[in-house]
Amino acid sequence: MKSNKRKIWMQYILIVYIICFGCLSMTACGSAENPDRGSAGQSETGQTYTASSLADIPEYTKEPYVVIDGNEPDFSEEDITTESFETYSELDELGRCRTAYANIGQDLMPTEERGSIGQVKPTGWQTVKYDLVDGRYLYNRCHLIGYQLTAENANEKNLITGTRYMNVEGMLPFENMVADYVKETGNHVLYRVDPVFEGGNLLAKGVQMEAWSVEDEGEGICFNVFVYNVQPGIDIDYATGASSQGSAAAVDTEQEQGGTEIRGNSNSKIYHCPGQADYEEMADSRNLVIFRSEQEAQEAGYRKAKR
Amino acid sequence: MVVIVCLDDDNGMMFNRRRQSKDRAVKERIGQLSSEKRLWMNSYTYKLYGGLCGTEIIEAEDFLELAGSGELCLVETESLAGVEAKIEKVVVFRWNRKYPADFWFDLALSEWKREAVREFSGTSHEKITEEEYCKKGTRYQDEE
Repeated sequence: MKSNKRKIWMQYILIVYIICFGCLSMTACGSAENPDRGSAGQSETGQTYTASSLADIPEYTKEPYVVIDGNEPDFSEEDITTESFETYSELDELGRCRTAYANIGQDLMPTEERGSIGQVKPTGWQTVKYDLVDGRYLYNRCHLIGYQLTAENANEKNLITGTRYMNVEGMLPFENMVADYVKETGNHVLYRVDPVFEGGNLLAKGVQMEAWSVEDEGEGICFNVFVYNVQPGIDIDYATGASSQGSAAAVDTEQEQGGTEIRGNSNSKIYHCPGQADYEEMADSRNLVIFRSEQEAQEAGYRKAKR
Repeated sequence: MVVIVCLDDDNGMMFNRRRQSKDRAVKERIGQLSSEKRLWMNSYTYKLYGGLCGTEIIEAEDFLELAGSGELCLVETESLAGVEAKIEKVVVFRWNRKYPADFWFDLALSEWKREAVREFSGTSHEKITEEEYCKKGTRYQDEE
């Protein structure tokens, strides 16, 4: 965590959060000078669902996220600043993450590769695999504020248990958009991620992501969405994080017998064997590809890591 | 006309009336492609790309109707439905990333032939892929 911090008022209790919606909403999105597009070019299969508030979130159907409140974030005027900051709420009494909030600037962004985060066990954590899941692991340690934005490694206040689908299909595209914008403009983006837990559940039902670019008053970045913590084809018990695929129980990798798992990085085309330096860290990588053998990895064009 | 677009992995272009991404290297490359040529765009696109040097830039909201044969159109917010017959060539810059999208490219490139492809590094993108498509059975002849 960096020194440039601001204390913020945390919204935790869901009902309070809901009440706050509509009271202090900035109309920044509407003020951006953008073309008034019609529906031409919009896909029938595209995400077009909207919700007026967190209380109105529809059940997941087929899209990884839903737009909230017309994509207008709910930052307060007093939070607008051109100074970078990042802050992470204390865990609640159940050990669950709460709000992560930052004003993303280039000075917060990483200057080195991500370190190990495998030692953090967020609430609801289960090490399980399914063949139908991309990368096989159902759960990732999901950064609330992505590493590419604030360079946070194993900060337990910034890591929740999230499905691979939520991590890669839901949250990553928004992180990418913000990261590109900050890198290209040097501007700042107010960025807040709230995990939403129901009752005493240990697994979040999803996260609310809000962002607003400061210097251009939302003209570059402006969104307010809820991302579902689901995995298509997998049933999840949000009270504990337990899961199943139809009638088949999950494979607990800590009890799985035999079979060496080779972990490849689809970006670098390098694979890691058990015992090698980055083998454990690769389990949470968004670029993870599982091979059954070194031969299989090599035939796919991968080379073995040197360390 | 020659259409220039930037697309993500799902052929997305915009989210919440904002472009998904931008890169100074792509802007520079568009400047090269349009050097000493006429480049059409709308007012939204003009705010980012209006400063290209050595290019005759024309800003108009109905630029797809106005652009003539061989002239370039930088398309960010427009559907191409209804103007397919005018399109002689398509230049696609692929970000090789996925972004949120609620507006997508609506020209079926499966009906076009990819004539050329090249890759380069951007200022905020590790790899950008530039592709050129011509209608199947035809070959676009650049005036140069």
